[in-house]
Amino acid sequence: MKQDTAAKTMIISSCIFFGFALTMGILTALKFVVPTVGDIEYLSMPRLRMLHTNINLFGWLLQANMGILFWILPRILHTKLFSEKLGVAMGVLYNLTIIGGLVCIALGKVKNVEYGEIPPPFDYLVAVCWVMFLINVVGTVAIRKVKYLYVTVWYTLGAVIWTTFVYITGNMLSQMPVMAGSNQANLIWFYVHNAVGLIFTPLGVAIAYYLIPKQLDTPIYSHKLSMIGFWVISFVYVWTGAHHMLHGPSPHWLQTVSIIFSFSLIIPVMAVITNFFGTFATAPRGKRMLGPIPKLLMMGTVYYVFTCLQGPFQAIRSVNEITSKTDWVVGHAHMALFGAFSYYAMAGIYYVAPKLAGRKLYSEKMGDLHFWLMTLASIPFFAVLWIGGVIQGFAWLNPENTFVETLAALKHAHWMRFSTGAVIFGSYFLFFYNIMQTFFGKYSEDAEVEAETVAAE
Amino acid sequence: MKIDVEKSLLWTATGAFLLFAVGAALTTIVPPMVSPEMWKSDYPVHEYTEQEQRGIQIYLSEGCVYCHTQQIRHLDSDKRRYGWRLVDAPESESWEYVNDRINFLGTKRTGPDLARVGGKYSSEWHWAHFKDPRNMGEKFPNRKGVYEKVSIMPSFDYLTDEEIKDLTAYIQTLGRNKNWRVDKDGNPLNDYEK
Ligand code: HEC
Repeated sequence: MKQDTAAKTMIISSCIFFGFALTMGILTALKFVVPTVGDIEYLSMPRLRMLHTNINLFGWLLQANMGILFWILPRILHTKLFSEKLGVAMGVLYNLTIIGGLVCIALGKVKNVEYGEIPPPFDYLVAVCWVMFLINVVGTVAIRKVKYLYVTVWYTLGAVIWTTFVYITGNMLSQMPVMAGSNQANLIWFYVHNAVGLIFTPLGVAIAYYLIPKQLDTPIYSHKLSMIGFWVISFVYVWTGAHHMLHGPSPHWLQTVSIIFSFSLIIPVMAVITNFFGTFATAPRGKRMLGPIPKLLMMGTVYYVFTCLQGPFQAIRSVNEITSKTDWVVGHAHMALFGAFSYYAMAGIYYVAPKLAGRKLYSEKMGDLHFWLMTLASIPFFAVLWIGGVIQGFAWLNPENTFVETLAALKHAHWMRFSTGAVIFGSYFLFFYNIMQTFFGKYSEDAEVEAETVAAE
Repeated sequence: MKIDVEKSLLWTATGAFLLFAVGAALTTIVPPMVSPEMWKSDYPVHEYTEQEQRGIQIYLSEGCVYCHTQQIRHLDSDKRRYGWRLVDAPESESWEYVNDRINFLGTKRTGPDLARVGGKYSSEWHWAHFKDPRNMGEKFPNRKGVYEKVSIMPSFDYLTDEEIKDLTAYIQTLGRNKNWRVDKDGNPLNDYEK
């Protein structure tokens, strides 16, 4: 089978899913300002929300990350993908599985697992696909032609191992007949939190660890920081699930443990971030911000800093009292999965797509425009969710305010969220068009000739 | 023998797994062993009837949990806000949930917490509210005004009458495991407007 078919399949389908995910997002935001639009079962707000999160997590982000890594891993390991056939088979099965799962969600057949609503048998199939991915990753590392494993490989290996357990615990074990109440909730939050922390964080960071030095043509700033970042995160991340239950019905000691470890997360995160910014700072000036890729990587890192500083502080009991259960949390989650990791994934696709197509990106200018529109819209988008959340949190402290009054105070915030979200949605099409043109479009031969000379070099 | 982890697939993978496994085991397997109130109760806990279980399934597939939590946090503001007729709601504790095969503790309060909502309103009220939270008709005129403008709860009038009854039956059970609504002489008022 032709080399890189698996990477190409997964990257293209992930870009399509991304569009659907954003559509669901914007419709959900619309429901918050005009709750009566589309008043039918399949378009009710919870269904849209479940579709939004699942399409984003599985259809878009996870798939994009796997596609990009299918391309990157063989390059750093100086070898071919362990099995291209297995990769393609997995890609096809994965897409069918996700579509099946999404249809179930639309029909209301769901599990009570946030981020894991996809019901059996489709969730079991996701696990099967994941094992196929694991075999391919481990196989590719085993047949490598270089001695040392680069940071990207550590993170990818970590992610495939951790995720297997995290996914099975959250989606299968939590649904076993003996599980109930706060015990079940604990397992589910173990999954919800580690889905972000031990699936998307390591995969996103793995991609950034490859792209930043490559794109800037500068060695990574510090090897020691890479090691600290990786080994500390493997130890501390997994403890934090219970911070979703602070002040709630779960053992007090478990909450305290999760707070301590949530706070310790500052260590690995700062190691990674210092490393990324250090690399940017030591890169040649002319290259630092040329085209959409370094911009997305830089901004993704900035968002990563913010999310990962919010996290530890939100886990402090007194701060949590205000921010928890409000729109703040929505802002926080968006900045992690959209701000940081989707930015890295988009940078990865801008980098890999032209290589797969064997020519230059269709338009760097359009890529820049996409970046600026998306970024300038996402900053107020996040900010308004936080501000709304804090307003809500403090309003709830005063029992004189009825619940609906505290909701009324958010009307403007919800309108802002919808309108800035609409700009983000619009800018997605620039990204999509650019990538599709790069793969399938017909554009001036010049560009292709240039790409060939680049390749020849 | 000198081990160079960075050259070894086996050592990197094993190391990453072992470090992870410590925290994974201590936060998933150990808690129910150390704190048995997570899965068993020393007090009587309501067993759901068949009708209520159908209600739970509707609550699940309609995704009420994305807008409503079911936990009175151990905070004065929560207890006050979700109390009833100036009686503070008691905080939610683990043992109250041991029969919730499908838990709905939730993470987001777009709408009010529902942990102690059982008995707060009549079933008729819920009926009208599910049909249209923004206009509940002549009988509930106080829902006009600000509710009409700002309630963003979806109307569930696509549910059949049977389904709304099942859902309401479930909602009316919420929060009754603690006997918290008592009159001046300590007699329970929990069956208010059942
Ligand atoms: C889009 C978010 C949303 C969804 C989904 C939602 N609700 Fe609500 N709910 C609200 C809001 C906002 C209020 C407060 C305004 C009102 O009473 O209409 C509310 C109020 C309520 C109340 C009254 C609580 C009180 O103490 O006054 C009940 C009961 C309720 N919802 C039950 C449900 C059930 C059951 C479902 C699922 C079938 C559901 N809600 C789905 C947003 C939502």
